[in-house]
Amino acid sequence: MRRVTPDTIAVVDLAVCDRCGLCLPLCPPEAIHLALNVLTVDDAACTGCEKCVAPCPVGALAMVAYA
Amino acid sequence: MPDVDVLVVGAGPAGAVAAWHAKLAAPGLDVVLLERDRAIGAPVRCAEGVGDAGLREFANPDGADWAARKITKVIFQAPDDTEVVVAERGVGWILDRTRFDAHLAAEAVAAGAQVLVGAEATGMSRNGRGDDRWYVRVKERGQDTVYRARVVIGADGVETMVGRWAGLDTRVPSRDMESCAQYVLQGIDCDPDAIYLQFSEAIAPGGYAWIFPKAIGVANVGLGLVALKTDGRNARQYLDAWVARRFPNAARTGYTVGGVIVHTTIKKTYADGVLVAGDAAHMINPLSGGGITNAMKAGRLAGRTAAAAICAGDTSERRLSAYHQAWMELLGDDHLKYYRIKQALESVDDAFFDKLARTVNRIPQEKRSIGRIFTHALIKHPQLIPVAARFFV
Repeated sequence: MRRVTPDTIAVVDLAVCDRCGLCLPLCPPEAIHLALNVLTVDDAACTGCEKCVAPCPVGALAMVAYA
Repeated sequence: MPDVDVLVVGAGPAGAVAAWHAKLAAPGLDVVLLERDRAIGAPVRCAEGVGDAGLREFANPDGADWAARKITKVIFQAPDDTEVVVAERGVGWILDRTRFDAHLAAEAVAAGAQVLVGAEATGMSRNGRGDDRWYVRVKERGQDTVYRARVVIGADGVETMVGRWAGLDTRVPSRDMESCAQYVLQGIDCDPDAIYLQFSEAIAPGGYAWIFPKAIGVANVGLGLVALKTDGRNARQYLDAWVARRFPNAARTGYTVGGVIVHTTIKKTYADGVLVAGDAAHMINPLSGGGITNAMKAGRLAGRTAAAAICAGDTSERRLSAYHQAWMELLGDDHLKYYRIKQALESVDDAFFDKLARTVNRIPQEKRSIGRIFTHALIKHPQLIPVAARFFV
């Protein structure tokens, strides 16, 4: 997938995240990983599409400005 | 380096049955079943409902400690709370998944499989150079071990890392993901022999809300929704609003959240030395969101296919594609039909469901079978004809 540097990228709040894994198959570039009970978003792969944000059942994902 | 024939990743219903049936098919094979969590069956991410006939292919629920309630009634609730009771003998069961999953894993062990809990697969790769085995990295008690396996069965649920590592496309469009939240409520007044399903855009847009009894006065109370259709609140917030209205005085003694993929089976469920089964392969009934029986049926096919392939000395994707074909014939093609109904139902609104409930209630309760309701609904509500047509096309 061709990647244009996005203005915003997804970040996870691990204090809220329930590790349910729902967001993994929603991510077009497969930038979200769940390993050893920690969810991570690969900010080099995230395209800023926001597809993971609204479906999170507990609101653990949000978009932030890409530094 | 531990050398195994079949390595199953994930000890839910798909994985446990896969390990069990791989051993039954070929007792001489080394079969290892990995569970990431420290207890099989926990944490529960499930409403725990299952149909009677499908369950009995794998386990006898009569008097079993893992069967919480026998269900003999389905109560549909329209958006305006009009109830439609459909009673059928032996509809299904509400399981205790912490015990049920452990029971299935014990069946796998009794057949000779080895089960490891607290053991997480963290990646896998192949060597090339004529070596067709997979090297799977497993983290267990802080130690990394590499397992060498002839066939890896990915039964790792919605996140489906094994499928990803094998290069399969396991992604799902947003409209086909149900975001779910559920409480265990105690001290509630509901029929302990019935499951309740409520359809309403205000309560659970794009999905439904459920009450599944686990004991008298105790139930799994949850909902699933499609985020694209919401007003911006998340599933837990929708659930809080519904529970506050329906059960303001109940004790919330547990909660869970998770995703249910209401999609069709992934295009390819196999690769060289890899099979994926259950939620990991999107093998959930896209209309009901039910996945336990499907997962067990797929696990049985995967276990048998893997065992036969290893015994034949050919674990290539060409050989393993027999699994995909068998699954599509068994249930995959039906899921395509259910998916079409789901799409068609997306166009009907709350007012329609309210009217439909009143229509069905004119049929005497003892004569209410799903078939009769369907026929009656079609006559009274011609808007449903395109829905029915899409089912059969």
